[in-house]
Amino acid sequence: MAVEDVDGIYAHFGGSSAHLIKLHQCAHLASPPPFSIRIPSPSSMAGFLYALRRIYLSLYNWTVFIGWFQVLYFAVKALREGGPTTVYDAVEKPLQLAQTAAVLEILHGIVGLVRSPVSATLPQIGSRLFLVWGILWSIPETRTHVLVSSLVISWSITEIIRYSFFGMKEALGFAPSWLLWLRYSTFLLLYPTGITSEVGLIYVALPFIKASEKYCIRMPNKWNFTFDYFYASIIALAIYVPGMFLVLLIIQVNKDCLPNCFNHISSGSPHMYGYMLGQRKKALSKSKTA
Amino acid sequence: MKVNLVSRNGREVVKGGIELTDEATVSDLQEAIHARIKKYYPSRQRLTLPLQAGSKGKPVVLIPKKKLADYCDGNANNLTVVFKDLGVQVSYSTLFFWEYLGPLVIYPVFYYFPVYKYFGYEGERTIYPVQTYALYYWCFHYFKRILETFFVHRFSHATSPLSNVFRNCAYYWTFGAYIAYHVNHPLYTPVGDFQIKIGFTFGLICQLANFYCHLILRNLRSPDGNGGYQIPRGFLFNIVTCANYTTEIYQWLGFNMATQTIPGCVFLVVATLIMTNWALTKHRRLKKLFDGKEGRPRYPRRWVILPPFM
Repeated sequence: MAVEDVDGIYAHFGGSSAHLIKLHQCAHLASPPPFSIRIPSPSSMAGFLYALRRIYLSLYNWTVFIGWFQVLYFAVKALREGGPTTVYDAVEKPLQLAQTAAVLEILHGIVGLVRSPVSATLPQIGSRLFLVWGILWSIPETRTHVLVSSLVISWSITEIIRYSFFGMKEALGFAPSWLLWLRYSTFLLLYPTGITSEVGLIYVALPFIKASEKYCIRMPNKWNFTFDYFYASIIALAIYVPGMFLVLLIIQVNKDCLPNCFNHISSGSPHMYGYMLGQRKKALSKSKTA
Repeated sequence: MKVNLVSRNGREVVKGGIELTDEATVSDLQEAIHARIKKYYPSRQRLTLPLQAGSKGKPVVLIPKKKLADYCDGNANNLTVVFKDLGVQVSYSTLFFWEYLGPLVIYPVFYYFPVYKYFGYEGERTIYPVQTYALYYWCFHYFKRILETFFVHRFSHATSPLSNVFRNCAYYWTFGAYIAYHVNHPLYTPVGDFQIKIGFTFGLICQLANFYCHLILRNLRSPDGNGGYQIPRGFLFNIVTCANYTTEIYQWLGFNMATQTIPGCVFLVVATLIMTNWALTKHRRLKKLFDGKEGRPRYPRRWVILPPFM
């Protein structure tokens, strides 16, 4: 990395980069003068870590963006060429990669890299992973259903907007207002379609889950444990609507980090929908006056 | 003096304000509000001083026993108080009773009644001794909790929001059924005799210790329910701040040692997490309150909840 780049990043955070430049220059000398190796001061250390965080998050968001872009591209391509039954096979790999990568976001929340509450991101990502691995990958009979198309298209458009939004904020420091508008407006259609697809696919999978007895643990066993995937899926279905309601409540409690955790909603409840309409009004009017 | 009662978004809650004598207490204000608006009984009211514009931090909550005049910093005739409706309240005794009644009733249902045939397990089931002891242990535990609710505990707040009844009952009743189903199952596999004996004995000792801890905590509070904080002392409290939670956790550990079920262990983990959260809050609050300044004693060095981990 050129010295100028280091300086550039530092100028952004107002940290002192002089000593780092010296270090960099000294690296090219045969025998560096002893006085030029200095321990970074706390403020510049913080600045360095802040820069690192931004670079990492930019890379993360744009990488996952590309993943979801692929999902949308292959999905549309497969729809046009082979029809809805071919969509899953076309998108399987990027879908699994992009959605599983989202687990990192839980880590980001835990270590404090981002401000989203873990309590809101966990159920959201949990439900996504359940669909991708627990339903679509585990129960192949669901893959040819038409709801798969609506699912991946709803998800991919939402995620493309979301990751590009965060990608821009981290990389450039701001996001264009049209992107903000997209983020707060497309949910109006995409969350209902997404949730309907999710619930629908779980429902479609139920008879196959029961018949296959997959992931079931029966008694007797040493730890007196049972697990029935069929009943667990039904419970998952049952908590979908109030579960999303609960996520809404958690987000309301964590109001100050709303812009970040807004994204970790997939709405099914009418209450949530109405709430987000209100938030949309607020966010868009704020961006007008800003 | 006149009290202007406003809601958090500035709207007047009681038109024209409330007239009270200069010697009036916050409690008198609460009664007056209740008289004006029937549904706002005192335990539903949260009264605070308005936050100064731009200042951060938590608003000052009005304490019922104090005089209103104590909160007027200048204008002795006029006071603005912010009102928040806490929603329908139930007494803590009611809350605890219902949440503990569930496990007390549900568990024996799985033991005594032929429920497993509805899960597809026909025929007679052999009941192992450990399952019978587990029933007694479990029911003793929740019976003890109910008795403590009515005769031992002194609560800092008189009431709790109604929504907590549903939330807490869901937690206790669901876990109760989940554990009861597995321990009383026809295909239940008991562990060795020694492990069972150790488990239940250890658990019982911890339950008794837990009861003693509750007695100590009770004696920290005066009967008129003032709820002032004191440093707990004596017995295990000398070593750990929340000895009552510690004994509770170990008591469940004893149960799980004897019955060895995953559902029981899951319950233990979840309960531990919840209690640890409470313990940390309590420990921090006590340390902050008893900082050793202005004549207050300094809070001694103690484990929070689970030595040697925390």
